[in-house]
Amino acid sequence: MSFEMWAEKYRPKRLSEMVDQKTIVERLMSFAKSRNVPHCIFAGPPGTGKTTAALCLARDLYGESYREHLMELNASDERGINVVRETVKTFARSRSIGEIPFKILILDEADNMTSDAQQALRRTMERYTETCRFVMCANYSGKIIEPIQSRCAPFRFSFLPREEHDAYIKKLAEGENVHLLPDGVAAIFEVCSGDLRRAINTLQAAASMNKPVDSLLVYSVTGKASPVDVQRMLNTAIEGDFLGARKQLRDMIQKYGVAGIDIIRQIHKEIFKTGIPEPWKIKLAAITGEIDFRLVEGSDEEVQLSALLARLVEAGSEIKKGN
Amino acid sequence: MYTAWTVKHKPDSTAEIVGNFLSIKALREWLQSWDKGLPKKRAAFLHGPPGVGKTITVEALARELQMELVEKNASDDRTEDAINRFAGLASQYGSLFGGKRIVLLDELDGLTGNADRGGVKAITNIVKTARCPVVLIANSAYDPRFRTLRSYCFLIEFKKPAAGIVLKNLERVSAREGIQPEENVLKFIAQRAEGDVRSAVNDFQALAQGKKQLTYNDVSWLAHRDRQDSIFNVVKLIIYGRTALGAKKAVNMADVDIDMLFEWIYENAPSHLTDPHDLAQAMDALAMADVYRGRIRASQDWSFTRYVIDYMTAGVAMARQNSKTSGWVPFKFPSRIMMLSRSKAQRATRKNIGLKIRRKCHISANRASNEVLPFLRIIFKNNVHMAAGIAKWLDLDSEMVEYIAETKAKAGKINALFS
Repeated sequence: MSFEMWAEKYRPKRLSEMVDQKTIVERLMSFAKSRNVPHCIFAGPPGTGKTTAALCLARDLYGESYREHLMELNASDERGINVVRETVKTFARSRSIGEIPFKILILDEADNMTSDAQQALRRTMERYTETCRFVMCANYSGKIIEPIQSRCAPFRFSFLPREEHDAYIKKLAEGENVHLLPDGVAAIFEVCSGDLRRAINTLQAAASMNKPVDSLLVYSVTGKASPVDVQRMLNTAIEGDFLGARKQLRDMIQKYGVAGIDIIRQIHKEIFKTGIPEPWKIKLAAITGEIDFRLVEGSDEEVQLSALLARLVEAGSEIKKGN
Repeated sequence: MYTAWTVKHKPDSTAEIVGNFLSIKALREWLQSWDKGLPKKRAAFLHGPPGVGKTITVEALARELQMELVEKNASDDRTEDAINRFAGLASQYGSLFGGKRIVLLDELDGLTGNADRGGVKAITNIVKTARCPVVLIANSAYDPRFRTLRSYCFLIEFKKPAAGIVLKNLERVSAREGIQPEENVLKFIAQRAEGDVRSAVNDFQALAQGKKQLTYNDVSWLAHRDRQDSIFNVVKLIIYGRTALGAKKAVNMADVDIDMLFEWIYENAPSHLTDPHDLAQAMDALAMADVYRGRIRASQDWSFTRYVIDYMTAGVAMARQNSKTSGWVPFKFPSRIMMLSRSKAQRATRKNIGLKIRRKCHISANRASNEVLPFLRIIFKNNVHMAAGIAKWLDLDSEMVEYIAETKAKAGKINALFS
């Protein structure tokens, strides 16, 4: 077993090493061969190889010294307009040395950029096309403004199908001498639904326990690995334990640093699956919406969300009364 | 045998009474003026906060002027009839034994509506016809019940003496008890008493009885208790408030700022609202108070604070419809505040770990701490060798390792392996 992050160790280096996304890989290889790349949008769910494809493309283009011709920016860490005005512009306009006249700028999680920043980016892309090509990675291409979309070649990444996923995970387990049982593979696919980064992290965490990796071990790992256990919190509240639910909420926010916005959106998904009385569901959805808005406005996450938890306690008491 | 020091070390003469020098002088002169015939006002009304020396002044002056003191206070029955029976005493200047007499009616605030019905009227009649000095004592002379009575009285105000003067009295008591307090100890007690000379002596006795030495550590915890006591009361008045206005007014009694008071209510209200509907209403009110806090931040208009207060006090108090008083649930210090201050450093560490992961794993620091960090926690808990390898590969420092490993012991093992 090697002691680094396996997700990085096994990240493909060349386009030819990539599993699945065949049509995309073929087109990208043809870009590399012709030594010309348009602006691109790589859209698709997490862990499907968007960043990997961009990095492989760069390596195929420039060889091992690809780092000199590449800049990687992460829009969710640096999403403001100033980053576009300064960092991006400076990189984009400087000329590249070497055979290929342009550099590549990977903008990861580009759907997290503010629309102002995207507007500013639009002109930069146009003006410096000769010296810089943009690869924008995003979960949802819809969150990228029209004018940018129209300047880019779109590539749609999808989750790995079951066979490809299983083959890859098994090969990796073999390489690391992990005793991976068939139901373990199935469980990993089930909990990660084709997100390869998550799948590899799950496998590595399970393997770190030095036990054969079966489905039980996988489930226990994913249980521990998700700090956002919204379902458990909602159930605690519905059962009437407000203080217990509030404690869980507090841990999520303070101990694990989960954003209130992420919690409320998950709550919104879960509400319709809970056993609370039907009329309450829409009532709670309305409250959820109000609180979501308040959080966007900058209200206190715990105070607002615990008001929602108190409403769930109330809904839960209705069940007990039999209404 | 237990004797209260306030009694044991009661001043014998006015010279030993601390503070209110001019008030004592005024009362002495008024008492002496009786020798020259009936003064214009036949009663002196001493008023002022508790424990500043009103009663002992009268007692000491009676002794010094060799007058007989006839006293009636709140512990006695004070209906109209009872006072009228008492009135005879005030109708002659000389006493039974030939001496002069002072009639003292103490603790007039204690006259209650029904039990002491007609009492104030009866006192007023005594004052009008008195043939010897009558001294009345109350905390406030400006109570509307005393309006008529007041006009027949010579008002003498007793004020809270400054801490330095309270201290002087404590030093006297301390010397008489043969106690050697550390510097600052008496000063601390004096300051805490806020001008109440009697309570300062009581506090001093509670802390020092049976001791010859008294250190600052013996007394400093009192400061803590006081603040807690007062915030407990405020929180109680709000959570159990029966009127909206009453709950709102409790804010004035709090010696913490509005944000801190909010945390106290937010922490404690749920334990005292047992009915789910009441609880939901109260939490809604707190959430609205929070919305107004946000509006204050956005607009920088602090006048919105009044709505924050409305929601967090009256809003919470009026939520109580069906909840019963939940036995005795103690009020707790806001645990969120403790956690927040503790987790501030942790948040910084988590962010730095995110940045380290980003350098190596091509994902944002935010995503890293949400998606990768949970797996690292599992690995660090179960496999120190793999943890050490990853720590080295990510270039984590020992603080970050400790954060991920969650225990010092684990972190120690991991750090030992890779350094």
